[in-house]
Amino acid sequence: MTVVQSWHEGWKRVLAAPAIAAGVFVMTFVLALPLALTLRGQLASHLGPSVAAETVASGINYDWWQEFAAQATGLGATFSPSIIGFAAVLDNISGVLDGRGRSGPVAAAIALYVAGWAFLTGGILDRYARQRAIGAYGFFGASGVYLLRLARLAVIAGLVYWWLFAYVHPWLFEEQFVNLTRGMNVERTAFAVRLLFYLLFGGLLVAINIVIDYAKVRMVVEDRRSAVGACAAALRFVRRHPRQAIGLYAMNALTLLVVLAAWSFAAPGVGGTGLAMWAAFVVSQLYIAARLLMKLQFMASQTALFQGTLAHASYASAPVPAWPDSPAAEAIRPGAGLAASQQ
Amino acid sequence: MMKLRPFAAACCLCGAIAAAPSARQESPAPPADRSAAPPEDAAPGALSPRNANYEIDARLDENAKVINGRETIRWRNITDQPTSELQFHLYWNAWRDADSTWLRERRMAGLYRQPLPDAWSSMDVTALRVRDHSGEMRDLTGHSRFIAPDDGNTRDRTVLSVQLGRTVGPGESLEIEVEWTSKIPRPFARTGWIGDYYFIAQWFPKLGVLEPQGWNTHQFHAATEFYSDFGVYDVRLTLPRRFVVGASGRQSARTDNADGTTTHRYQGEDIHDFAWTASPSFIDLSERFEHPALPAVDVRLLLLPEHRGQTERYFAIVKATLQRYGEWFGAYPYGYLTVVDPAFQSDSDGMEYPTLLTGRARWLAPRSTQTPESTTAHEVGHQWWYGIVATNEFEHAWMDEGINTYATARVIAETMNPNRVEMRYFGTFIPWSFRDIPVTRIDNDRLAGYRLNSEADAPWTPTYRYWPATASIISYNKTALWLHTLEQRLGWPTVQRILSTYFDRWKFRHPKPSDFFDVVREVTGQGHVWFFDEVYRSSNTFDYGVQEFRSDRLDDKTFRTTVVIRRYGEAVFPVDVVTTFENGERVNETWTGQDRRIVYEYERPSRGATVHVDPDRVLLLDVAYTNNSRTLRPQTDEASLKWSLKWMAWLQELLLTYGFFV
Repeated sequence: MTVVQSWHEGWKRVLAAPAIAAGVFVMTFVLALPLALTLRGQLASHLGPSVAAETVASGINYDWWQEFAAQATGLGATFSPSIIGFAAVLDNISGVLDGRGRSGPVAAAIALYVAGWAFLTGGILDRYARQRAIGAYGFFGASGVYLLRLARLAVIAGLVYWWLFAYVHPWLFEEQFVNLTRGMNVERTAFAVRLLFYLLFGGLLVAINIVIDYAKVRMVVEDRRSAVGACAAALRFVRRHPRQAIGLYAMNALTLLVVLAAWSFAAPGVGGTGLAMWAAFVVSQLYIAARLLMKLQFMASQTALFQGTLAHASYASAPVPAWPDSPAAEAIRPGAGLAASQQ
Repeated sequence: MMKLRPFAAACCLCGAIAAAPSARQESPAPPADRSAAPPEDAAPGALSPRNANYEIDARLDENAKVINGRETIRWRNITDQPTSELQFHLYWNAWRDADSTWLRERRMAGLYRQPLPDAWSSMDVTALRVRDHSGEMRDLTGHSRFIAPDDGNTRDRTVLSVQLGRTVGPGESLEIEVEWTSKIPRPFARTGWIGDYYFIAQWFPKLGVLEPQGWNTHQFHAATEFYSDFGVYDVRLTLPRRFVVGASGRQSARTDNADGTTTHRYQGEDIHDFAWTASPSFIDLSERFEHPALPAVDVRLLLLPEHRGQTERYFAIVKATLQRYGEWFGAYPYGYLTVVDPAFQSDSDGMEYPTLLTGRARWLAPRSTQTPESTTAHEVGHQWWYGIVATNEFEHAWMDEGINTYATARVIAETMNPNRVEMRYFGTFIPWSFRDIPVTRIDNDRLAGYRLNSEADAPWTPTYRYWPATASIISYNKTALWLHTLEQRLGWPTVQRILSTYFDRWKFRHPKPSDFFDVVREVTGQGHVWFFDEVYRSSNTFDYGVQEFRSDRLDDKTFRTTVVIRRYGEAVFPVDVVTTFENGERVNETWTGQDRRIVYEYERPSRGATVHVDPDRVLLLDVAYTNNSRTLRPQTDEASLKWSLKWMAWLQELLLTYGFFV
């Protein structure tokens, strides 16, 4: 299967399972909502019944904002201009690449979100691999079946990422970058070095990400139990199909960049209240939905690539499918799944 | 940390004992100071006393990062007291080791980073001679010792005392020869080298200021700057030929030497310091500032190639500041000004020296944000408030930094449109300008910083005794805010008259705080003692607010509206209280603000609508302005909903960003 075919196939599978997209959107929304309500309480409490609320509502009152920030702690401390429009994207990506820590409540939300994805990943991959509706029972059943295995994989991934951020990042950005640029008196040269380091560190993250992604796919598609084995198998897969694996990742990344570029133009500014406020919110939720679809596209297209490249997927004779057989088992039954589509 | 506590406590205690103000009293008249008198034997056309004149011959050893220098100082005692001692600043010894007062204070402030091994600097006087009555030069090298007049730190070597062995009487002159060697630091406090860029300031042994009470020669402190007498500087700098050089004064000669070096001669009159810069990368640009009522100024811009796109912006803001400061306060008298575009990581940005200043530019600098404008305007402004009105920055930093911050904010407000809030990402390399958030004059008065540390120190405390981490907030922010408050109260024409009178009265001299307050009294006819008691002689915080606002129906035709206004802060300021009613009626009260609270009750045919304390924002020092108003129909729900929705989208975006890892 070519990169383009996998990319197409990924979108087909994502769009064929709207419930999954809706589900992860709801998860993203529901997790953010209570924190947003908490922040709203803090904002309301600080504004009180003041006349300042009028300017805060109709546009921006930066003086009030700074006054709020001066006394804010916890969630309130994250209320900075970076939340407005496309700055949020810059702030968040920059935060990750610069290894910036997050405050308690936000860090907890991130942890919960990651855990939520870890739980759903089994079901999502299972659904994309089977290419048929499996119903809520089947979806959550698969999520449950793969949860512990994926959790073990998550431990491995977490350790690798932790090592990257705890040791490689400081080594690169606090030691090497500082040493290399300490004598530089031209900013753009220093930025070029930093960019190189971002690419290097980002490249490492992506490399790990690709292997872990295919480890997840192999764990689910091939009903693997060993996380270490899945990682080794994923590594073998990427090593044997580097052009497809990396090409597909790049194509998906390019698509994500298109989404981000569109957002940089469409992101609403401060705006007012009433209809304009809700319109801005809807636009922002459309962007969040697009980002979620992109995340699902990574999963679906990588699953498609793996399945399309998997030797036994297209020729092996089929055992009788009996759920919860693995998607691979299901795929090789006569007249079904990918095998059928390729015949 | 434990070791530093007694030191810090000693500083505070000394400050309290030495400088306790007399509450609610006018500042005492300044002691007799002959420097305030017109120079008696100064050269024709001299603008200043010219009592500390320097002839310097210095050579840069680029490989060793060393400057070898020789200076002849012609100094005149312009006080009415004799002295038998000389005191020199040897500023670069502040970075000789970690035990200097400068670095101790940086540690206290939490701003200390272990310098790299090659970062340290030094300044060693190798010979010091004084011409005696017979005309012979007498060697006093062995008669010197380091002193620490501020904190007794015996490890600090930034002040050198030399016993003359004779007295120098009032009006008497002395010729002093000094030879020295300085190791140039990697950038510390706006001076040093990085790559082939040099910014060299406070680089030569410099005399303190003899005052009637004795020498005023403070150690180098982390939060303070400088103080010295006016004079004529005639400086020869010898560097490798490839360097483009800029310096205080004006270049009068340039001689190529046989050894591949070039000697640049700069001369400056009526200045009190001399700094220079050198880089082979500088693009040397010039424009002329012309104005129908002000003297022309040749503006030289030494620009680095990566900021070439900002040439126009640099010149525009320099000219705008020369124009406005000239019109507001008085003419810039020198006819030339050198603006240095500082190199990345040189730590030399945003600094002022007589007729030479450094701006601040970034490689990526959106037009709608105030880099390089804000810093450049501020440093140009320092030519008035520091360069010409030469206050003692060790003791009264607010007199130049604060006044200048206030005036800079005015210039930026008048000249920059748009001027938007900027944030930087990706290691601060990538800027983002927020089109919806304009930078206001109050932002440039730096209210945000003041709000966080409003009680850090009282401005009457000598600046070098301020807590180093927050010193600038009191010197810059608080002063700018109270001057703006004064403007709101008295009007710009009055404040402009105060500042122009003060400038005219004290140009080329060293005013004290009382001199400024005297001018305020003279111009306004009032001492404003109550005001300066609050903003200058105390560290109290201003915070007025609405404690209660309700409107109850009494009968079919009448509502009783109750307003309770509260003074939450300790500081007192008269405020207006405006109550509006639903029928459009408006009641304006003026409250002295003295008591803790005041209650107003109105019986009106209409329900109350809003109440606002200080609605015209006269008191810019109020640290919590949100509580200054209340409405009976608040839009709090809408406002908080709108912003929490935006924040929620940001949080979702953040979650998705971290979703990458799973």
